[in-house]
Amino acid sequence: MELRLQIFIGIMVVAMLLAIANMVRKGKIDLRYALGWMGFAVFLLVLDIFPEIVFWFAELIGISIPANMLFLIGVILAIVMIYSLTVSVSNLSMKVKRLTQELALLRAELEKNVAKNDTESDSRDGRSD
Amino acid sequence: MKKLAIIPAYNEQASILNTVRDIKMNAPEFDYVVVNDCSTDGTLDVCEKEGINCIKLPVNLGIGGAVQAGYLYGVRNGYDIAVQFDGDGQHSALYLEEMVDYLIDNSADMVIGSRFIKNEGFQSSRLRRMGIKHFNLLIKMLTGRSITDPTSGMRMVNGDVMRLFSEDYPKDYPEPESVVYIMSKGKKVLEIPVLMNERKEGISSISPTKSVYYMIKVTIAIFIARVRK
Repeated sequence: MELRLQIFIGIMVVAMLLAIANMVRKGKIDLRYALGWMGFAVFLLVLDIFPEIVFWFAELIGISIPANMLFLIGVILAIVMIYSLTVSVSNLSMKVKRLTQELALLRAELEKNVAKNDTESDSRDGRSD
Repeated sequence: MKKLAIIPAYNEQASILNTVRDIKMNAPEFDYVVVNDCSTDGTLDVCEKEGINCIKLPVNLGIGGAVQAGYLYGVRNGYDIAVQFDGDGQHSALYLEEMVDYLIDNSADMVIGSRFIKNEGFQSSRLRRMGIKHFNLLIKMLTGRSITDPTSGMRMVNGDVMRLFSEDYPKDYPEPESVVYIMSKGKKVLEIPVLMNERKEGISSISPTKSVYYMIKVTIAIFIARVRK
């Protein structure tokens, strides 16, 4: 791989790492999810510094053009990231559902209590019409 | 001075009653609140049957979310001091008043009960101790201060830190990261030696694979916490 390309990719990946770390620092992304992207960036950096790994893998699996190997790796990693996000979304979805139900039940209890207090104070009003 | 003991509890049906009794007996000036993190065992039943003061989380949030709920409770109810206290019997309430005095006398913002100042009592597994040493060195490098037990769940804070934590607290493995967070805000963190007991009932929640994730995640988090906005 051309040195120019390696340097260019290297700078892009480091910039990506710093950007993600900064988002976490500002509290805009949860570190747990950011870790996946950071791992992804580090992995890309390693492949960038040692492109021989890509060539070796390509030959091992039977891919003739190394660039295709890179694309394959990229696609697989993207699928893994998306899958893990799917798991997170499902989990969040279940929690939101549960919270909604609890809120509705709480509200019902509250309204029942308020109604009970109202009727009690009515009878204690002492007003004779 | 209003003092609160926050007792996060996830599946601690066997030890939660004794924990509450320990506080009532050995630190009677402390109010307490059990934060039931959607336990799947009989923890909630025990609390209701014995009239234990308890907030019931409708979904499981993990230790970070549960403890933060406790801090929120502390802020909303006007407490001046809050201490985190494990619900599994590892901590002893005999130290609580001592921690309060130490906090006030030294104008500290947080006092941590450390197992590793005198190295007595339950010392945890060798692997855990190595991990703790790692965090000790990391924190020392980043803040200049040596915290001997950054993972200790026995920590007492004043009103300012309570407010900080109620708004901002890590979701998992929160202990080391939160200490560095408040230190980066200029808060004074001190430690006193305590003895802890071995976990009597129930199972600890960190497995070997999770340990690796834990080390990596918390290490990165500590670096970022040092430069938090």
